[in-house]
Amino acid sequence: MEMNYQQLDFLKELANIGTGHATTALSTMLDNKRLVIDVPEILLISFDQISTHIGALDQIVAGIYIGVSGDIQGHMAFILDFESAKTLVRSLTDNKVDISDELGQSALQEVGNIMVTSYLNALATMTDLFLAPSVPAVAIDMAGAVWDSILAGAAVADIITLIKTMFTADEIEISGSILFLPSEQDFGRLAQSLGMEAY
Amino acid sequence: MQELFVNMGEMAALKSSGVLTTVGLGSCIGLTIYDPVAQVGGMAHIFLARNPNSEKAPELPGKYADTGVKALIDLVESLGARQRRLEAKLAGGANIFNNLSANGLSIGQQNIIAVREQLEKYQIPIVGEQVAGNKGRKMRLSIETGIVIVTSVGQQPVEI
Repeated sequence: MEMNYQQLDFLKELANIGTGHATTALSTMLDNKRLVIDVPEILLISFDQISTHIGALDQIVAGIYIGVSGDIQGHMAFILDFESAKTLVRSLTDNKVDISDELGQSALQEVGNIMVTSYLNALATMTDLFLAPSVPAVAIDMAGAVWDSILAGAAVADIITLIKTMFTADEIEISGSILFLPSEQDFGRLAQSLGMEAY
Repeated sequence: MQELFVNMGEMAALKSSGVLTTVGLGSCIGLTIYDPVAQVGGMAHIFLARNPNSEKAPELPGKYADTGVKALIDLVESLGARQRRLEAKLAGGANIFNNLSANGLSIGQQNIIAVREQLEKYQIPIVGEQVAGNKGRKMRLSIETGIVIVTSVGQQPVEI
């Protein structure tokens, strides 16, 4: 699969705006703390290389997974390391709730939901596509287990198309990433909806 | 001591000594087959039940249950194991995200069923397993003893 620079730029811009909306939503929930978004990465990773991309497979992470249906099929996830997830839950609840509490995990699930929905809304507006998020689910587990479940849910073949944007909040030491995995054929539709050929 | 890490979709085998490890099994299945006489063991990290393109052999045969079990048997046999002496152990097949399922069965459950079917087809008995549930797992096979240790976050390691 090959894309030219212009197409990559468009997809990056899409991810950038989507993540911008998601982090704005998060910032609002965190009393307007400043969040910094990295340049989005459009990754076409061969399946046998994905493990090297995940990092330490047994590191504990929090993952919120949401399926996307409608005009395109895809998978979205919000993944953050365990320390960030702990800090996030504490910040959101004025230090009243811990991540190990059921309430803490619902808070996390809700944050993920709001962020992913904001991302999708931005995408839908720009592309004029109908995008419907599923009910969210949260897991706190080994990075490898969280990723393998998401990738299996996406039934990825030999090449994984992944749009990844990382962000950090320096004041409270939170960092995380938003992942978007459009199915391979919908990757093309996404590009076409922006008025360009994907392949 | 040699320790080989088996990544998603991959497989590996060793003879006489060493450890085979796979980390971060979610809905995937860690499958080990072991010949105690030849002291040969193999491990696969199976990703999904079926190869979606039955016309074409997958790049990684260990990725799917329907191609992986046979491929793993061939691999251990190349190191001197005999199919009739093989014993299987399974870990994984969890349902990490409760909203991920197809046809009412979680992906983990579908994987468990598919691997069991393949093992039955090749008449390999399952002598131990730690499957299903909603926790990720790490699996280690000692080639010297055939013992498998399964670890989950926040839980004591289990020997199978």
